[in-house]
Amino acid sequence: MRLLLRAIVDGPDASVADDLGLRSVPGGRVAALASPWDTAGVVGEADLLEHHGFIQAVFERVPCLPARFGSVFPDEAALRARLAEREAELASQLARLGHRCELAITCAWRDTRAVAPTAIVPVRSGRAYLERGAERQRDERGREGRAEEIATRLLAELAVEPALVRHRTCPRPAVAVSMSVLVTRDEIGGINSRLERLSAQLPDVTTVVQGPWAPYTFAVSE
Amino acid sequence: MTREPATLDVPLVELVDRLLNRGVVLTGELTISVAGVDLIYLGLSVVLSSVDTIRRAGTEI
Repeated sequence: MRLLLRAIVDGPDASVADDLGLRSVPGGRVAALASPWDTAGVVGEADLLEHHGFIQAVFERVPCLPARFGSVFPDEAALRARLAEREAELASQLARLGHRCELAITCAWRDTRAVAPTAIVPVRSGRAYLERGAERQRDERGREGRAEEIATRLLAELAVEPALVRHRTCPRPAVAVSMSVLVTRDEIGGINSRLERLSAQLPDVTTVVQGPWAPYTFAVSE
Repeated sequence: MTREPATLDVPLVELVDRLLNRGVVLTGELTISVAGVDLIYLGLSVVLSSVDTIRRAGTEI
């Protein structure tokens, strides 16, 4: 039976799988939690959200590392073998990250006209064409600069260690800043208050905070 | 902090981005479609790209 990996937990925590309808596969100090996977080929948004649902359910119960969607194994033996190869690294990551959670902070541009797809408008001359291109480039540079300013203010307001923050500016047309912060649950209230205060001073973006989530951004493949 | 009509899709996109691009990778191979856009994992699931990107990349992949 094929298995889709959902999360990695400490070996002694593997029993949480029973409550959630997951299969646990032991791998020394760690264990993998997985689901039977018989979907052929194309899957969709519902599968992604289900994956997130499983991870959150595990994360609410025990420390875990979330698995990137898409790790499918032909059978339990294959997953067990892969787990054994990575046991030390996964155990180390779990000890470092498992008790922390991720807050996703997104600053989206309020003025959506500026980031709407450019309409194709006929131009009368080559000069007009070039001027329009230059204007578009100026706008883009302006948004990039502003996004950097917003990111700097966010980082200053959050005042957390650089190792606990990842951010990107202008990752998509509608988004100025996408930031992930690794926090303890005790810190969430304080961070939300600080962001609320800061967002009132950023009139050109809408700030959305999501989480706490399992530490997706900080769980990496080494 | 509020959610306005123009940003309603942002939370979902941010979550999907993390589900597809972050987190521990052990192995895997899967073709998926999200919101009508085909996405493809290649090889050992590290590479993720839209079909358009893959086509543009041409022989590099």
